[in-house]
Amino acid sequence: MSFKVLKPGVQATLQAAPRSGTRHLGVPASGPADELSMALANRLVGNPSSACALELSFGLVSLEADADCAIAFTGAPVEIELAGDKVPMHRTLYIHGGETVSVGAAEAGARLYMAVSGGFLADDFLGSASTCLPAMVGGLKGRALRAGDTLSTGESEPSADVETPANMHQAFTHAFALRCVDGPDAELISGWESGQDYAATRRADRTGIEIAGSWPPLSNAGLKPSAPVFPGAVQLTPSGNAFILLPDSQTTGGYPHVLQVTRADRHLLGQIRPGDRVHFLKRTPEEAADDLRRKTAYFRDWLPDLVL
Amino acid sequence: MPEYRLFFLGDDAVAVQPNNRALRHPLARALRGSGEWIDTVPGKEVVAVHFDPRALRPTEVMRKLEDWLSSFSAEAFEPGKAVDLHLDCSAANAPDLQALADQNGLTPQEMLERVTRSDLVVDMLGFTPGFAYVEGVNPALKAERLAVPRQRVAAGSVGLVSGQLGLYGLSGPGGWPIIGRLTEALFDPARAEPFLLQEGQVVRLHLVDV
Repeated sequence: MSFKVLKPGVQATLQAAPRSGTRHLGVPASGPADELSMALANRLVGNPSSACALELSFGLVSLEADADCAIAFTGAPVEIELAGDKVPMHRTLYIHGGETVSVGAAEAGARLYMAVSGGFLADDFLGSASTCLPAMVGGLKGRALRAGDTLSTGESEPSADVETPANMHQAFTHAFALRCVDGPDAELISGWESGQDYAATRRADRTGIEIAGSWPPLSNAGLKPSAPVFPGAVQLTPSGNAFILLPDSQTTGGYPHVLQVTRADRHLLGQIRPGDRVHFLKRTPEEAADDLRRKTAYFRDWLPDLVL
Repeated sequence: MPEYRLFFLGDDAVAVQPNNRALRHPLARALRGSGEWIDTVPGKEVVAVHFDPRALRPTEVMRKLEDWLSSFSAEAFEPGKAVDLHLDCSAANAPDLQALADQNGLTPQEMLERVTRSDLVVDMLGFTPGFAYVEGVNPALKAERLAVPRQRVAAGSVGLVSGQLGLYGLSGPGGWPIIGRLTEALFDPARAEPFLLQEGQVVRLHLVDV
């Protein structure tokens, strides 16, 4: 079956498991900016956690189905209308051929996910279907949706009607606490104390988010020789602000890499919107590994194959 | 005697810094070939491995890498054959050429000849798909990053900063002064081999008549 895109939204892309083993070619991992929300959406339609789903920035998408299937929405809270009726997020929904599903605008959180039973079909590039916008590969022709596009779906079994357990819903507010460890250039901010108030600026997309606030001035604002960087890296830029890397980010960089948002909390980065408040909490790498194990264990019964 | 410094790049990546930077590439090839790491990425001074801290704790990764390095020996590697690239230095494609030439007390033509006569080698790919760091530019040529990066540099643009060229595989933001634009596509996902260049390859630059 397939969906016709009536309204494409701000930036909606197809995302699946991240690309691996390609960063030495300059090709980023891509994949969902919020892995947890995408996994929860896929779970509601009987898919594996990283089946190809639609990532919507701020919502505002309308799709028309050409046949019956199961769909589900998770992530930033929005109003959803299915065939003219309001329907909940975090629940299996059944859409019939000819019906339209419309997503409103998110007021907290930045991204939501639509999963379809059988997953969306997408272009493969170097082993992953995830859209990489800078390189224009993966997903649907390597780009965000446009009105008139057709999204095809894979074969599927009928899906059971389920709801995300209440204790697995994320709270969506305008404040984020991000656990982080030292980056390789942490000595440049040795006097820095975590716990201060920072805010996301308007510079935010799938490559990264700019974070303003009182960062220690760098005595030597120069660049270092280009070094490998990964999503979650917090770099200090010549503007005096920090830039946190997201899934479509560059693979090497020369700005001082002073902190790294830990893997356990990286999924939260996908939900930070301009103006949101951000706090950083310091951890050691060993504590961060424990945090990740604890968080994965918390979701294990519901999402046994979750990879954060 | 090779020595290595190991340090964390966060909670799920470790950098290995050899005392001899020429070891980065054999090291990266061997680490990648081991199949143990999610990604193995060289930088200008280090090689980073990306790991899943649920499978291996950070301290275990450090120990494992130390053990592995104690028995590592660099294997000879035959780089891909030399590649000829063609550089269009017409004004629209070389917005910073005149200023760089002035800074070095040369004419644009003299400046370009010193670049193209250098022994150029691809040091590594990275940054964005197809971007290549090419080393070996005559070190006497002075060139610094732009004070304000450009919002958009055309795909194929060639930047010059202190002894190296940056070849832009994609259009996008860029901070290197631009001295020309290649006629060849460095990255084309539709090609059977999307990446034109490989690390270690010798690059011969030819000026095209415009």
